[in-house]
Amino acid sequence: MIFNSLTYLLLLFFVVTLYWVLPYKARLLLIFSASLTFYGFWRIEFLPVLLVSTFVDWWVTQKMRGQSERNRFNLLLISFTVNLGLLFYFKYLIFFADNAVGLANLLGAEIDPIALKIILPLGISFYTFQTISYTTDVYRRFIEPERDFFLYACYVTFFPQLVAGPVLRAGEVIHQFANRAAFSTEHLFVGARRILYGLFLKVVLADNIAPLVDAGYSMPLETMSALDVWTLAFLFGFQIYFDFSAYSHIAIGSARLMGINFPENFNFPYLASSPKDFWRRWHISLSSWIRDYLYLPLAGVKVHDRSSGGLSVATAERKHTKSLFLSWAIMGLWHGANWTFLLWGIFHAVVISVYRFTEPRTRSLGKQIRWWGGIAITLPVMMLAWVPFRAESIVDAFVMWEKIFEPSAYLWLGMRENIYLITALILFGVFFTYAVKEKIMPKVQTFRFGIALADISAVAVMTALVIVFLQPINQFIYFQF
Amino acid sequence: MLTFKKIDIRLFLGVLLGIVLLYKFFPIEQSAKRFEDLALGKETTTTFGKVSDLTVHCEGLSDLVECLQGYEKTGSGQSVILWLGNSQVHAINQFEPGEETAVPELHRKFQVTGEYFLTLSQANASLQEHYLLFAYLLNRLPIKELVLPVVFDDMREDGIRTSLIDAFKDQKTADSLRSSEIGRILIANHGDQDAAGNDMNALQDTFQEHSEKVLNSILEEAWSLWAARPTLRGELLGSLYLLRNWAFGINASSTRKMIPGRYAKNRDAFLAILNLAVQRQVKVLVYIPPLRNDVKVPYDIHEYASFKSEMTSIVQENKAFFVDLENLVPAKLWGTKNSTTIGGGQELDFMHFQAGGHRLLARALYNELKKQRLSP
Repeated sequence: MIFNSLTYLLLLFFVVTLYWVLPYKARLLLIFSASLTFYGFWRIEFLPVLLVSTFVDWWVTQKMRGQSERNRFNLLLISFTVNLGLLFYFKYLIFFADNAVGLANLLGAEIDPIALKIILPLGISFYTFQTISYTTDVYRRFIEPERDFFLYACYVTFFPQLVAGPVLRAGEVIHQFANRAAFSTEHLFVGARRILYGLFLKVVLADNIAPLVDAGYSMPLETMSALDVWTLAFLFGFQIYFDFSAYSHIAIGSARLMGINFPENFNFPYLASSPKDFWRRWHISLSSWIRDYLYLPLAGVKVHDRSSGGLSVATAERKHTKSLFLSWAIMGLWHGANWTFLLWGIFHAVVISVYRFTEPRTRSLGKQIRWWGGIAITLPVMMLAWVPFRAESIVDAFVMWEKIFEPSAYLWLGMRENIYLITALILFGVFFTYAVKEKIMPKVQTFRFGIALADISAVAVMTALVIVFLQPINQFIYFQF
Repeated sequence: MLTFKKIDIRLFLGVLLGIVLLYKFFPIEQSAKRFEDLALGKETTTTFGKVSDLTVHCEGLSDLVECLQGYEKTGSGQSVILWLGNSQVHAINQFEPGEETAVPELHRKFQVTGEYFLTLSQANASLQEHYLLFAYLLNRLPIKELVLPVVFDDMREDGIRTSLIDAFKDQKTADSLRSSEIGRILIANHGDQDAAGNDMNALQDTFQEHSEKVLNSILEEAWSLWAARPTLRGELLGSLYLLRNWAFGINASSTRKMIPGRYAKNRDAFLAILNLAVQRQVKVLVYIPPLRNDVKVPYDIHEYASFKSEMTSIVQENKAFFVDLENLVPAKLWGTKNSTTIGGGQELDFMHFQAGGHRLLARALYNELKKQRLSP
């Protein structure tokens, strides 16, 4: 089910109403059945895949009780095999088959392309990571295995986060399902606000930017100027930010309506002053997942508890670089079975490596210079990283990147004037919003009437625009991952 | 313990105010101006030509059925001359009751010789849209000749408007488009959209597709504001258009620069139209449309000259016919229109002429089509 739809809002209304009047056990059943309904509204035939993945990890963790370390490890491998096997089959088999055939043909084998028709189950990458983290946390003895299947199943399938995150850890939410939350109107208002913000970001901003990005990326590359590449990189960067943070807002808001608190997933990422800072602000739940379940184990570091995000950690330099590149390559491919995503991951690994090399040499500079200079460098670099993420092919991405180093490619504009104007306005808007929220608001708390008026006006404008633009059809970009 | 104390009154008031704002600033009872017609101003009137009660001039797929029915009724079996154009074809400056565009006159003239003259035009129509429509209509009508303006302004347009999107659903049209690179791009960008411009790919054949339709129709019946949302979107975008023009001092005389990316796509679509015409043995008459020439044209003069020269050579290479009608309509038959900016006065209209201009255009095209038939 798509969040920006009447169907979802209706489902949410019924679920939240029932949730607060039902007794505890019935609440869990309500959440579980609502989650299956939510998922089944897209394609009912993929419910078994979700349920198998859910059940296997619950069963494996139950079996881990009282077992030797070796047996626990074997059980962990069973979980990995099932989860990653399903993920590989649905997400990567076509990619690997196509590339294997392509490689074989390159070597003169003359093999016909394999015609595979596999539909990617919605959210499989998200719930696979979630179940893997659960089993791994039990294996690492961070948490006790949950005996109550429904309680555990609610954690995996809870509909607000099922198809596009945030990637939750069991330790963050299971206890919230277990402890019956007391009703408070605060839950409803805070949740409703977050949903309104999310819908505004999605249907008013992201969905209206999308056609401009699509048109830009469909123009012939030879007519694209360097300024067009920059503009499209920024514009897509804004689109994916609004789109994905919208999803997180709605997910967080929907859960909050039921008294469940999710961790934040975004924090003004484009105001990051370094690549490391960026990944502490962008898709926080995924970057911290990658760190705890991939990067640190690859770097040979023993994980003692969940991290707070980012990939920075002190390890031996050689292992450190290898695990960094490997983690980012996997992170890239997690987003999609395409070389373009791999390139996106490698680009980030290179950027972080460069940052690690240069960062100690800038420590003598003033704090303000480092901060502003950091933003001035990090923002365009992060935006350029989106080029392969959105480009049709790896070749297109390189052609676009090349343009920015050609002085003569700066001499014309290849797109409609409005696109440059809109991009500049959004860029200004992002900085302005940050300044208002983080700098101005804390200083004007005493002007209560003014703040109330501004708040009411902002909510009014957002409400009006959401009503006008709410269209249920454009899917969230992260649904495809 | 239940807690009701923390009520976010601001959220409550804000939502209420938002709904009031919609009713206040966008009165849904009034007939809204179409977004496509915003650039026309009040002095220019849209008029889709009819001959007696026969619809011979349509805009999109929604009214095309009337044009096709008209053909079935009165012209079945006759070969069709198809004119695809932009708002110049359907708009009359300083319109007076009883006046008509070039379309009815051309239809009557060809009626005499047993041919059926049919027109489709959309404001700011791009050659990509003409390509889609041409491919679509070739499978529905026995088209013998195509009349096609190449308009510098419209080379700045891109993509396919929602009123034409359903043409992609036609299998023969889609197959025909797939034979060209630009056709494949159009299918990739618009092929999954529904008639409201929504990307249906994600929801096709899902329960949610059906539930959304049901819920929307219930809400539209129960709440007039919900039903008026497409109009509200148009009004809102129109207001932004006026605001932009006001903020940047843009008016009808402002120079419109060529947009290379869009120009290239439209040029590719033009080539695809000519190729398709050759395949289907359709003769094509390409013309440079009349342009107001008593004042400085709102184009970069070098870009405009290069555009004309490129169009001419493409036409020659592809064995189509070409005529430059740029100076056809004299200055006195052009006019002004209401400003397309906030608080502006009258502006020159470079695209739409008076009814007298339409008569001249009809005669010129008629003569060119006749001349074309005499050519080998």
